[in-house]
Amino acid sequence: MLLSPPHKPLTNGSEGTSVTKRGPAPADGRPWPWLVPAVAILAVFYAVPVLDVFRLAFSDATLIRPPTSWTAAPIRALLGNPALPEVLVTTFVFTAVNVVALQAFGLAIALTLVRGEARGLRGMTTFRTLVLAAWVVPGIANGLIWQMLFDEAPYGTLNSLLGFVGIGPVAWLSDPGMALVSAVIANLWQGTAFSMIVFYAARKAIDPVIYEVAALDGASPWRTFRSITLPLLRTAIAVNTVLVAVQTLNTFDSILALTGGGPGRATEVLALFTFNTVFYNLDLAGGSVLALIMFAVAMALATVIHGWLGRTA
Amino acid sequence: MKARLGDVATYGGLALLAVFFAAPFLWMLSLSLRTPAEIYLGAARLIPDAPTLGNFRHILSDPAFLLYLWNGLKLSAAGGALAVALAIPAAYAFSRLQFRRKQAALVAILAVQMISPLVILVPLYRWMGAMDLLNLHASVIALYGALGMPLAVWLLKVAFDAIPVEIEEAAIVDGASRLQVLTRITLPLARPGLASAFVLAMVTNWSQFLVPFILLERDGDWPISVAIFNFAGSVSASTTQLLAAACLVAVVPAVAVFVGLQRMIVSALVSGAVKG
Repeated sequence: MLLSPPHKPLTNGSEGTSVTKRGPAPADGRPWPWLVPAVAILAVFYAVPVLDVFRLAFSDATLIRPPTSWTAAPIRALLGNPALPEVLVTTFVFTAVNVVALQAFGLAIALTLVRGEARGLRGMTTFRTLVLAAWVVPGIANGLIWQMLFDEAPYGTLNSLLGFVGIGPVAWLSDPGMALVSAVIANLWQGTAFSMIVFYAARKAIDPVIYEVAALDGASPWRTFRSITLPLLRTAIAVNTVLVAVQTLNTFDSILALTGGGPGRATEVLALFTFNTVFYNLDLAGGSVLALIMFAVAMALATVIHGWLGRTA
Repeated sequence: MKARLGDVATYGGLALLAVFFAAPFLWMLSLSLRTPAEIYLGAARLIPDAPTLGNFRHILSDPAFLLYLWNGLKLSAAGGALAVALAIPAAYAFSRLQFRRKQAALVAILAVQMISPLVILVPLYRWMGAMDLLNLHASVIALYGALGMPLAVWLLKVAFDAIPVEIEEAAIVDGASRLQVLTRITLPLARPGLASAFVLAMVTNWSQFLVPFILLERDGDWPISVAIFNFAGSVSASTTQLLAAACLVAVVPAVAVFVGLQRMIVSALVSGAVKG
């Protein structure tokens, strides 16, 4: 339901989705006993901690000292922190560029794979495997690997390659603007697979008959893409946009390993800023305020998805 | 003819992308096989003149490094198993029982998936400190279980949905309870789905950095992800080849498992994405 085009019932292998196909539920079908473990986990590890973050955001707690007084001081202090606007701008740019680039890459790869498979071309699975392999690289290793590739010494990988073609060394990680570009490149390498899978699945769920009709009508590939593929992938793109935005917003280990947030604060995104505030500056109250911002953004985006699901379900 | 041209374009585009996606892996391999002297040759020496396995030998003969790998494996596997175990009852209820607000509850679980572990770690770190639960592998495993559960619920629900309900109804008519149906019929039939959910959770855990970095202070407790981060802080240009080897050793298990099982996992993800 979520990512398939809205116009068409599912034919993807197994059962259809729900209610209509199944017989009446047997009498011993009370859901609560089944839901207890999941609900308990969600309460202990998510709901209560989030409430505690709310509480701590109004305290003077540090990581090593419990709260003693309750004020809005941490919120005021944070809003007055000159680093905050810089961090928010960096976060916005990093997220926005990634959301667009990851999906453009993912969509292009997914459609190319589907085309290749339809033509019976060899090597499609190998290529898909390669993209997926980058996806499972641990974030820390991703940062370290790209740090070696971006090494600015004359023998650094990319710079020595560029040297061959006579392009001067690029300050991949020491120039503030370039460092953000480098962080985006590293994230693209790792993150594209997710969008690729989502779009691949959604594209496969489109009825092939529609494409046959378009071919009979002599529609050009571009026209087919514009008038069939893109409109039918609209829901998938919408939902994926939100998922990718949240993932990107929560990314920080690869940046930590790649640049440590530097130079200066050039690549310090909100998640990394929160991490540094709590676990390096030991400012628990301030970190809680930042965690609340992250939580609020994630939930706002989740609500957007919920709205879409409500309409398409 | 036109289609042929399209094929050429397809291969051309994919070849370019393949270079982008393969280069970091190949380059790590190249670096990790070099002697220190060859590191300074940069891209001029993609295939080292004198390839050596010495770097891997150096890394893997370090007992601490083997311990990091073992810790990583143990924490990821136990955390993944816990996530799946916690998800089974809820996923079964979502698949087989009718109740009010079911769709909303499912979306709520998806929403939970969006909360950064960082947000909940801030208070959890304090509580665990107060309850003396820091520096315990059990704490990390419990957190992995909680972090992995939401996605596992979705994947298992889809897996259960694919099992014809008639099979279960037959057993219920024969007098089996819901629990017996679940353990004797549904779970065995859902093995591929269970395996996919477990492997995905495990690979995610293997990548986890934040949770063990925050909860485990003792060097000997660390999984590989935390260890390579600390190792990277201590290397210089003259030991790049060792860091490359260490990164590869950290990356290869996850990639190997995923690539080996990718057909199963991708189909679980694809059906999850379409149906969810």
